[in-house]
Amino acid sequence: MTTKYDLIIVGAGPAGLAAAIYAARARLRTLVLDESVAGGQVKTTHKVSNYPGFPEDIKGTDLAKAFATQAERFGATIRRAIEITAHDFSGPVKTIELDEEETVEAPAVIVATGARPRDLGIPGESKYKGRGISYCATCDGAYFEGKDIHVIGGGNSAVEESLFLTRFARSVTIIHQFDHFQAEAATTEEALHNPKIEVIWDSEPRAFTGEGGLQALTIENVKTRKTTDLKTDGVFVFIGYVPRTDLVKGVVALNKWGYVETAEDMSTPVPGLYVAGDIRAKSFRQITTAVADGTIAALAAQKYVKQAVANVAA
Amino acid sequence: MSDHVREITEADYEREVVGAGQPVVLDFFSTECPPCEALAPKFEAVAGQFAGKVRFLKVFRQGNRELATRLGVTGSPTLIFFGPDGRERGERLGGEEIKRTAIKAQVEALIT
Repeated sequence: MTTKYDLIIVGAGPAGLAAAIYAARARLRTLVLDESVAGGQVKTTHKVSNYPGFPEDIKGTDLAKAFATQAERFGATIRRAIEITAHDFSGPVKTIELDEEETVEAPAVIVATGARPRDLGIPGESKYKGRGISYCATCDGAYFEGKDIHVIGGGNSAVEESLFLTRFARSVTIIHQFDHFQAEAATTEEALHNPKIEVIWDSEPRAFTGEGGLQALTIENVKTRKTTDLKTDGVFVFIGYVPRTDLVKGVVALNKWGYVETAEDMSTPVPGLYVAGDIRAKSFRQITTAVADGTIAALAAQKYVKQAVANVAA
Repeated sequence: MSDHVREITEADYEREVVGAGQPVVLDFFSTECPPCEALAPKFEAVAGQFAGKVRFLKVFRQGNRELATRLGVTGSPTLIFFGPDGRERGERLGGEEIKRTAIKAQVEALIT
């Protein structure tokens, strides 16, 4: 069974849903696909403080739902928890197979698959994933009520989520590879004044160990080369993201960090294929910049689809 | 909830999982957990495919802390697979990236 759309958007994060709002309002038959629920990284962010229009902090999960509700109000269809089992973006008609059982097609596709949390890639990490190592504070924070935990990283996510984790944990120790945080100044100040938070600077994790579950974390001071074993009840890892480019690998060029290069209008060298949001090569990755990318991609795709329809009619 | 997935509590664990006499897939879930919401329809779809052959159960982590601790579960969602002898088999699946095809592959391994 094949269902036809004017535009298919892969990824229901801020970029994909902003694109869906614009496309649906332009009366394009718009389908949004996501392997999870809507919201991308926003949905597991405990609070968002820098998205314009919300003078008070908003929960990431609420902002994610609002994006989706708005897109659906204008007629976009959002399919959640689907798996793309085959796809072909090279021709004038782009096809996507869903869950090995149905096919959808459209003349234009926007890939807004974003990025996934980066793994540390050190011994013990895969063994203790879900047995003491976590990448989502909102999901797993409550497992660590009254516990002594560690957070790896020093950017916005690491420091923000450490603050959130102090609601549950008895102590939160942040391990950071530099001697200062990369997080926003406001967040940094709050963390450094929180009595439950301690920081170990200039240090990187080297291994996870334990019997059955995670019990200890080995760190190395990058300046003195001294290694230390720390007893831990749990470790949260927030060391950035890697782009999710599985769908476009081999179809478009990736830069040396694995991100997709696009033109200013989010187009790629493949006609009808657009890329928006964190997956794109750019300097800053914020909710606001993802939304901007999605908007531009939808407007450019709209123009392309109208032309494609006119060509077929002619 | 679907016809193919039942929710249990830790009091039911010995009877429903260990003493099931058939393969079991157990899903630890939490509230305020988008990856858990995302897993639910995939879990139900696979449960429907193996109805009668494999038992699909879910357990609410916040209400069943002792069981989570006993099984060493510290993240949601976590899928644990058990053979007909009640022993854990294969790899646990967890987090946001659980694919329907990955669940299916593990379940197929349980019944062959």
